[in-house]
Amino acid sequence: MLTIIIRSILIYVIVLFVFRVMGKRQLGQMQPFELVLTLIIADLATIPMAEVSVPVLHGVVPLLTLVVLHFLLTWLTKISQRISKIISGKPVIVVNPKGIDFEAMKKLNLSIDDLFAALRENGYFSIAQIQYAIMETNGKISIMPKAQSAPVTNGDMKIKCDDSFIPIILINEGKIMKDNCALAGINEQELSTIAKKQNCEKLKDVLILSVDQSGEGYIQIQGGEGQSFKTKRLVSDEK
Amino acid sequence: MKSKVFHYLNFVFILLVLIVICVAEEVVVSSSLSAVQNYCFKIEELLKDFDSLKNMDIVMAVDNLEYEWFEDEMNLCYMVNHKSIQEIGQEIVRLKTYIAEDEITEFKVSLQEIENYCNSYLHFMGANIHNVL
Repeated sequence: MLTIIIRSILIYVIVLFVFRVMGKRQLGQMQPFELVLTLIIADLATIPMAEVSVPVLHGVVPLLTLVVLHFLLTWLTKISQRISKIISGKPVIVVNPKGIDFEAMKKLNLSIDDLFAALRENGYFSIAQIQYAIMETNGKISIMPKAQSAPVTNGDMKIKCDDSFIPIILINEGKIMKDNCALAGINEQELSTIAKKQNCEKLKDVLILSVDQSGEGYIQIQGGEGQSFKTKRLVSDEK
Repeated sequence: MKSKVFHYLNFVFILLVLIVICVAEEVVVSSSLSAVQNYCFKIEELLKDFDSLKNMDIVMAVDNLEYEWFEDEMNLCYMVNHKSIQEIGQEIVRLKTYIAEDEITEFKVSLQEIENYCNSYLHFMGANIHNVL
Protein backbone atom coordinates (compact mmCIF):
# COMPACT_ATOMS: atom_id res chain seq x y z
CA MET A 1 0.00 0.00 0.00
CA LEU A 2 2.91 2.34 0.77
CA THR A 3 4.16 1.71 -2.76
CA ILE A 4 0.83 2.90 -4.18
CA ILE A 5 0.96 6.03 -2.01
CA ILE A 6 4.51 6.86 -3.12
CA ARG A 7 3.67 6.15 -6.77
CA SER A 8 0.57 8.34 -6.53
CA ILE A 9 2.62 11.24 -5.13
CA LEU A 10 5.27 10.76 -7.80
CA ILE A 11 2.75 10.67 -10.65
CA TYR A 12 0.83 13.61 -9.19
CA VAL A 13 4.05 15.68 -9.22
CA ILE A 14 4.78 14.62 -12.79
CA VAL A 15 1.24 15.44 -13.99
CA LEU A 16 1.50 18.79 -12.21
CA PHE A 17 4.79 19.44 -14.04
CA VAL A 18 3.21 18.40 -17.33
CA PHE A 19 0.28 20.79 -16.90
CA ARG A 20 2.63 23.54 -15.76
CA VAL A 21 4.76 23.08 -18.87
CA MET A 22 1.68 23.02 -21.09
CA GLY A 23 0.65 26.44 -19.77
CA LYS A 24 -2.23 27.89 -17.82
CA ARG A 25 -5.55 27.32 -19.50
CA GLN A 26 -8.97 26.88 -18.01
CA LEU A 27 -11.12 24.03 -19.28
CA GLY A 28 -13.42 26.40 -21.14
CA GLN A 29 -10.53 28.18 -22.83
CA MET A 30 -8.95 25.08 -24.30
CA GLN A 31 -8.60 24.43 -27.96
CA PRO A 32 -9.95 21.04 -29.07
CA PHE A 33 -6.49 19.43 -29.21
CA GLU A 34 -5.67 20.74 -25.74
CA LEU A 35 -8.87 19.27 -24.34
CA VAL A 36 -8.09 15.89 -25.92
CA LEU A 37 -4.57 15.95 -24.44
CA THR A 38 -5.91 16.84 -21.00
CA LEU A 39 -8.39 13.97 -21.05
CA ILE A 40 -5.75 11.48 -22.19
CA ILE A 41 -3.28 12.70 -19.55
CA ALA A 42 -5.88 12.27 -16.82
CA ASP A 43 -6.53 8.72 -17.97
CA LEU A 44 -2.87 7.80 -18.42
CA ALA A 45 -1.89 8.96 -14.97
CA THR A 46 -4.23 6.54 -13.23
CA ILE A 47 -2.79 3.35 -14.79
CA PRO A 48 0.64 3.20 -13.08
CA MET A 49 -0.85 4.71 -9.93
CA ALA A 50 -3.00 1.71 -9.11
CA GLU A 51 -1.20 -1.09 -10.98
CA VAL A 52 2.04 -1.79 -9.11
CA SER A 53 3.38 -4.22 -11.73
CA VAL A 54 3.32 -1.44 -14.34
CA PRO A 55 6.50 0.67 -14.12
CA VAL A 56 6.00 4.38 -13.45
CA LEU A 57 7.88 5.00 -16.69
CA HIS A 58 4.98 3.42 -18.60
CA GLY A 59 2.87 6.31 -17.37
CA VAL A 60 5.55 8.98 -17.61
CA VAL A 61 6.71 8.25 -21.16
CA PRO A 62 3.25 8.72 -22.75
CA LEU A 63 2.76 11.85 -20.63
CA LEU A 64 6.03 13.36 -21.81
CA THR A 65 5.30 12.29 -25.39
CA LEU A 66 2.01 14.15 -25.20
CA VAL A 67 3.79 17.23 -23.88
CA VAL A 68 6.16 17.10 -26.84
CA LEU A 69 3.19 16.65 -29.17
CA HIS A 70 1.50 19.60 -27.52
CA PHE A 71 4.58 21.75 -28.03
CA LEU A 72 4.70 20.78 -31.69
CA LEU A 73 0.99 21.38 -32.29
CA THR A 74 1.12 24.75 -30.53
CA TRP A 75 4.16 25.71 -32.55
CA LEU A 76 2.52 24.58 -35.80
CA THR A 77 -0.66 26.52 -35.06
CA LYS A 78 1.48 29.60 -34.39
CA ILE A 79 3.51 29.43 -37.59
CA SER A 80 0.72 28.47 -39.99
CA GLN A 81 -2.80 29.85 -40.19
CA ARG A 82 -3.84 26.92 -42.36
CA ILE A 83 -2.64 24.33 -39.84
CA SER A 84 -4.23 26.37 -37.06
CA LYS A 85 -7.56 26.21 -38.90
CA ILE A 86 -7.24 22.45 -39.41
CA ILE A 87 -6.31 21.74 -35.78
CA SER A 88 -8.30 24.34 -33.88
CA GLY A 89 -10.97 25.32 -36.42
CA LYS A 90 -11.91 28.95 -36.98
CA PRO A 91 -14.42 31.29 -35.37
CA VAL A 92 -17.84 31.12 -37.02
CA ILE A 93 -20.43 33.90 -37.10
CA VAL A 94 -23.72 32.38 -35.98
CA VAL A 95 -25.72 35.61 -35.64
CA ASN A 96 -25.25 38.52 -38.02
CA PRO A 97 -27.27 41.71 -38.57
CA LYS A 98 -29.65 39.73 -40.83
CA GLY A 99 -30.41 37.28 -38.02
CA ILE A 100 -29.44 33.74 -37.11
CA ASP A 101 -27.25 31.90 -39.63
CA PHE A 102 -28.91 28.53 -39.27
CA GLU A 103 -26.69 26.86 -41.87
CA ALA A 104 -23.59 27.82 -39.86
CA MET A 105 -25.28 26.57 -36.69
CA LYS A 106 -26.11 23.23 -38.29
CA LYS A 107 -22.46 22.79 -39.30
CA LEU A 108 -21.43 23.47 -35.71
CA ASN A 109 -24.11 21.12 -34.36
CA LEU A 110 -25.40 24.05 -32.33
CA SER A 111 -29.07 24.29 -31.44
CA ILE A 112 -31.17 27.42 -30.99
CA ASP A 113 -31.44 26.51 -27.31
CA ASP A 114 -27.62 26.46 -27.01
CA LEU A 115 -27.43 29.83 -28.72
CA PHE A 116 -30.04 31.37 -26.41
CA ALA A 117 -28.32 29.90 -23.36
CA ALA A 118 -25.08 31.58 -24.48
CA LEU A 119 -26.92 34.87 -25.02
CA ARG A 120 -28.46 34.69 -21.54
CA GLU A 121 -25.05 33.92 -20.03
CA ASN A 122 -23.84 37.17 -21.57
CA GLY A 123 -26.80 39.09 -20.21
CA TYR A 124 -28.96 39.30 -23.34
CA PHE A 125 -32.39 37.75 -23.47
CA SER A 126 -33.50 38.63 -26.98
CA ILE A 127 -31.88 37.93 -30.31
CA ALA A 128 -33.05 41.40 -31.38
CA GLN A 129 -30.39 42.88 -29.05
CA ILE A 130 -27.56 41.10 -30.89
CA GLN A 131 -25.53 42.46 -33.77
CA TYR A 132 -23.09 39.55 -34.00
CA ALA A 133 -22.59 36.29 -32.16
CA ILE A 134 -19.42 34.38 -32.90
CA MET A 135 -18.69 30.80 -31.98
CA GLU A 136 -15.04 30.79 -30.90
CA THR A 137 -12.64 27.90 -31.47
CA ASN A 138 -12.72 27.05 -27.76
CA GLY A 139 -16.50 26.55 -27.90
CA LYS A 140 -17.48 29.82 -26.27
CA ILE A 141 -19.86 32.27 -27.92
CA SER A 142 -18.76 35.91 -28.05
CA ILE A 143 -21.49 38.47 -28.41
CA MET A 144 -21.50 41.97 -29.84
CA PRO A 145 -24.76 43.71 -28.96
CA LYS A 146 -26.53 46.26 -31.14
CA ALA A 147 -25.61 49.84 -30.29
CA GLN A 148 -28.92 50.52 -28.52
CA SER A 149 -28.45 47.43 -26.30
CA ALA A 150 -24.77 47.92 -25.49
CA PRO A 151 -23.89 49.03 -21.97
CA VAL A 152 -23.13 52.75 -21.63
CA THR A 153 -19.46 53.53 -21.09
CA ASN A 154 -17.75 56.62 -19.69
CA GLY A 155 -16.61 57.32 -23.24
CA ASP A 156 -20.22 57.33 -24.49
CA MET A 157 -21.16 59.80 -21.76
CA LYS A 158 -18.02 61.85 -22.45
CA ILE A 159 -17.08 61.60 -18.76
CA LYS A 160 -13.42 62.27 -18.06
CA CYS A 161 -11.96 59.84 -15.59
CA ASP A 162 -8.51 58.90 -14.37
CA ASP A 163 -6.82 55.75 -15.53
CA SER A 164 -7.41 52.90 -13.17
CA PHE A 165 -4.50 51.00 -11.67
CA ILE A 166 -4.13 47.46 -10.50
CA PRO A 167 -3.78 47.35 -6.71
CA ILE A 168 -0.69 45.54 -5.48
CA ILE A 169 -1.23 43.36 -2.42
CA LEU A 170 1.51 44.13 0.11
CA ILE A 171 0.20 42.16 3.09
CA ASN A 172 -1.92 39.07 2.67
CA GLU A 173 -3.31 37.47 5.85
CA GLY A 174 -0.48 38.93 7.92
CA LYS A 175 2.23 37.83 5.48
CA ILE A 176 4.36 40.50 3.84
CA MET A 177 4.54 39.96 0.07
CA LYS A 178 8.20 40.84 -0.37
CA ASP A 179 8.19 40.73 -4.18
CA ASN A 180 5.19 43.05 -4.33
CA CYS A 181 6.76 45.41 -1.77
CA ALA A 182 9.89 45.60 -3.91
CA LEU A 183 7.74 46.29 -6.96
CA ALA A 184 5.89 49.02 -5.08
CA GLY A 185 9.08 50.44 -3.61
CA ILE A 186 7.76 50.17 -0.07
CA ASN A 187 9.79 48.69 2.76
CA GLU A 188 8.65 46.99 5.94
CA GLN A 189 9.09 50.15 8.03
CA GLU A 190 6.82 52.10 5.73
CA LEU A 191 4.27 49.31 5.90
CA SER A 192 4.36 49.52 9.71
CA THR A 193 3.82 53.29 9.50
CA ILE A 194 0.80 52.78 7.22
CA ALA A 195 -0.58 50.09 9.54
CA LYS A 196 -0.04 52.23 12.65
CA LYS A 197 -1.93 55.10 11.03
CA GLN A 198 -4.83 52.69 10.69
CA ASN A 199 -4.52 51.77 14.39
CA CYS A 200 -2.76 48.45 13.81
CA GLU A 201 0.36 47.83 15.86
CA LYS A 202 1.48 44.52 14.37
CA LEU A 203 1.71 43.74 10.66
CA LYS A 204 0.69 40.16 11.50
CA ASP A 205 -2.75 41.47 12.42
CA VAL A 206 -3.34 42.94 8.96
CA LEU A 207 -5.74 40.84 6.90
CA ILE A 208 -5.05 42.69 3.68
CA LEU A 209 -3.14 45.78 2.66
CA SER A 210 -2.99 46.90 -0.95
CA VAL A 211 -1.81 50.02 -2.75
CA ASP A 212 -2.13 51.08 -6.37
CA GLN A 213 0.08 53.30 -8.49
CA SER A 214 -1.91 56.42 -7.66
CA GLY A 215 -1.23 55.84 -3.96
CA GLU A 216 -4.78 54.77 -3.17
CA GLY A 217 -4.68 52.03 -0.61
CA TYR A 218 -6.97 49.64 1.22
CA ILE A 219 -6.36 48.06 4.58
CA GLN A 220 -8.37 45.67 6.69
CA ILE A 221 -7.28 44.52 10.14
CA GLN A 222 -8.24 40.97 11.14
CA GLY A 223 -11.61 41.14 12.84
CA GLY A 224 -12.02 44.78 11.81
CA GLU A 225 -13.59 46.70 8.97
CA GLY A 226 -11.83 47.56 5.76
CA GLN A 227 -10.92 51.18 5.05
CA SER A 228 -9.34 53.11 2.22
CA PHE A 229 -6.34 55.37 2.73
CA LYS A 230 -4.05 57.50 0.67
CA THR A 231 -0.28 57.24 0.75
CA LYS A 232 2.00 60.05 -0.31
CA ARG A 233 4.27 57.69 -2.14
CA LEU A 234 3.35 56.73 -5.64
CA VAL A 235 4.03 53.15 -6.50
CA SER A 236 6.82 52.65 -9.00
CA ASP A 237 5.83 51.86 -12.56
CA GLU A 238 8.58 49.37 -13.36
CA LYS A 239 6.51 46.38 -14.50
CA MET B 1 12.11 36.30 -23.87
CA LYS B 2 13.20 34.46 -20.71
CA SER B 3 9.99 32.43 -20.60
CA LYS B 4 10.35 31.60 -24.30
CA VAL B 5 13.85 30.25 -23.70
CA PHE B 6 12.56 28.31 -20.67
CA HIS B 7 9.76 26.96 -22.85
CA TYR B 8 12.18 25.70 -25.50
CA LEU B 9 14.56 24.35 -22.87
CA ASN B 10 11.68 22.37 -21.39
CA PHE B 11 10.87 21.00 -24.81
CA VAL B 12 14.48 19.99 -25.49
CA PHE B 13 14.85 18.52 -21.99
CA ILE B 14 11.71 16.40 -22.31
CA LEU B 15 12.74 15.26 -25.77
CA LEU B 16 16.16 14.24 -24.44
CA VAL B 17 14.57 12.40 -21.50
CA LEU B 18 12.38 10.45 -23.91
CA ILE B 19 15.34 9.56 -26.12
CA VAL B 20 17.40 8.46 -23.11
CA ILE B 21 14.54 6.30 -21.80
CA CYS B 22 14.03 4.64 -25.19
CA VAL B 23 17.73 3.92 -25.66
CA ALA B 24 18.13 2.74 -22.05
CA GLU B 25 15.19 0.36 -22.44
CA GLU B 26 16.58 -1.08 -25.65
CA VAL B 27 20.05 -1.54 -24.14
CA VAL B 28 19.02 -2.87 -20.72
CA VAL B 29 16.33 -5.27 -21.95
CA SER B 30 18.33 -6.73 -24.80
CA SER B 31 21.54 -7.10 -22.76
CA SER B 32 19.69 -8.70 -19.82
CA LEU B 33 17.77 -11.17 -21.96
CA SER B 34 20.85 -11.98 -24.05
CA ALA B 35 22.78 -12.66 -20.84
CA VAL B 36 20.05 -15.04 -19.67
CA GLN B 37 20.09 -16.80 -23.04
CA ASN B 38 23.87 -17.19 -22.86
CA TYR B 39 23.63 -18.72 -19.39
CA CYS B 40 21.03 -21.16 -20.71
CA PHE B 41 23.28 -22.10 -23.62
CA LYS B 42 26.15 -22.73 -21.20
CA ILE B 43 23.93 -24.95 -19.02
CA GLU B 44 22.85 -26.87 -22.13
CA GLU B 45 26.50 -27.45 -23.01
CA LEU B 46 27.13 -28.72 -19.49
CA LEU B 47 24.18 -31.09 -19.75
CA LYS B 48 25.89 -32.80 -22.67
CA ASP B 49 28.76 -33.81 -20.38
CA PHE B 50 26.69 -35.13 -17.47
CA ASP B 51 23.94 -37.73 -17.16
CA SER B 52 22.72 -36.44 -13.82
CA LEU B 53 21.73 -32.94 -12.67
CA LYS B 54 23.22 -33.50 -9.26
CA ASN B 55 26.72 -32.19 -9.87
CA MET B 56 28.43 -29.01 -8.76
CA ASP B 57 28.94 -27.52 -12.24
CA ILE B 58 25.24 -27.52 -13.12
CA VAL B 59 24.19 -26.38 -9.65
CA MET B 60 26.69 -23.51 -9.82
CA ALA B 61 25.59 -22.58 -13.35
CA VAL B 62 21.91 -22.44 -12.33
CA ASP B 63 22.82 -20.45 -9.21
CA ASN B 64 24.73 -17.99 -11.38
CA LEU B 65 21.79 -17.75 -13.75
CA GLU B 66 19.45 -17.12 -10.84
CA TYR B 67 21.72 -14.47 -9.32
CA GLU B 68 22.25 -12.67 -12.62
CA TRP B 69 18.56 -12.74 -13.44
CA PHE B 70 17.44 -11.37 -10.10
CA GLU B 71 20.00 -8.57 -10.45
CA ASP B 72 18.80 -7.76 -13.98
CA GLU B 73 15.13 -8.17 -13.10
CA MET B 74 15.38 -5.31 -10.63
CA ASN B 75 16.65 -3.00 -13.37
CA LEU B 76 14.15 -4.30 -15.89
CA CYS B 77 11.26 -3.57 -13.52
CA TYR B 78 11.91 0.16 -14.01
CA MET B 79 10.95 -0.09 -17.67
CA VAL B 80 9.12 -3.35 -18.33
CA ASN B 81 5.82 -4.55 -16.90
CA HIS B 82 6.80 -6.92 -14.10
CA LYS B 83 4.12 -9.44 -15.15
CA SER B 84 5.72 -9.74 -18.59
CA ILE B 85 9.07 -10.92 -17.26
CA GLN B 86 8.15 -12.85 -14.12
CA GLU B 87 7.92 -16.08 -16.14
CA ILE B 88 11.71 -16.27 -16.44
CA GLY B 89 12.10 -16.08 -12.66
CA GLN B 90 9.47 -18.78 -12.20
CA GLU B 91 11.23 -21.11 -14.67
CA ILE B 92 14.58 -20.56 -12.91
CA VAL B 93 12.97 -21.60 -9.61
CA ARG B 94 11.63 -24.71 -11.38
CA LEU B 95 15.15 -25.50 -12.65
CA LYS B 96 16.33 -25.67 -9.04
CA THR B 97 13.46 -27.99 -8.13
CA TYR B 98 14.30 -30.28 -11.03
CA ILE B 99 17.94 -30.43 -9.88
CA ALA B 100 16.77 -31.56 -6.44
CA GLU B 101 14.54 -34.22 -8.04
CA ASP B 102 17.12 -34.98 -10.77
CA GLU B 103 14.49 -34.69 -13.52
CA ILE B 104 16.69 -34.02 -16.51
CA THR B 105 13.90 -34.04 -19.14
CA GLU B 106 11.82 -31.47 -17.27
CA PHE B 107 14.98 -29.47 -16.64
CA LYS B 108 15.71 -29.32 -20.37
CA VAL B 109 12.12 -28.27 -21.10
CA SER B 110 12.35 -25.45 -18.57
CA LEU B 111 15.66 -24.33 -20.00
CA GLN B 112 14.11 -24.32 -23.46
CA GLU B 113 11.16 -22.33 -22.11
CA ILE B 114 13.51 -19.62 -20.84
CA GLU B 115 15.38 -19.47 -24.14
CA ASN B 116 12.16 -19.27 -26.12
CA TYR B 117 10.76 -16.66 -23.82
CA CYS B 118 13.86 -14.47 -24.17
CA ASN B 119 13.80 -14.96 -27.92
CA SER B 120 10.16 -14.01 -28.27
CA TYR B 121 10.52 -11.02 -25.94
CA LEU B 122 13.54 -9.72 -27.87
CA HIS B 123 11.54 -10.16 -31.06
CA PHE B 124 8.49 -8.45 -29.55
CA MET B 125 10.56 -5.54 -28.22
CA GLY B 126 11.39 -2.46 -30.25
CA ALA B 127 9.48 -0.18 -32.57
CA ASN B 128 8.12 -1.98 -35.60
CA ILE B 129 4.86 -1.78 -37.45
CA HIS B 130 3.48 -4.94 -35.80
CA ASN B 131 4.11 -3.62 -32.31
CA VAL B 132 2.79 -0.17 -33.15
CA LEU B 133 -0.45 -1.47 -34.59
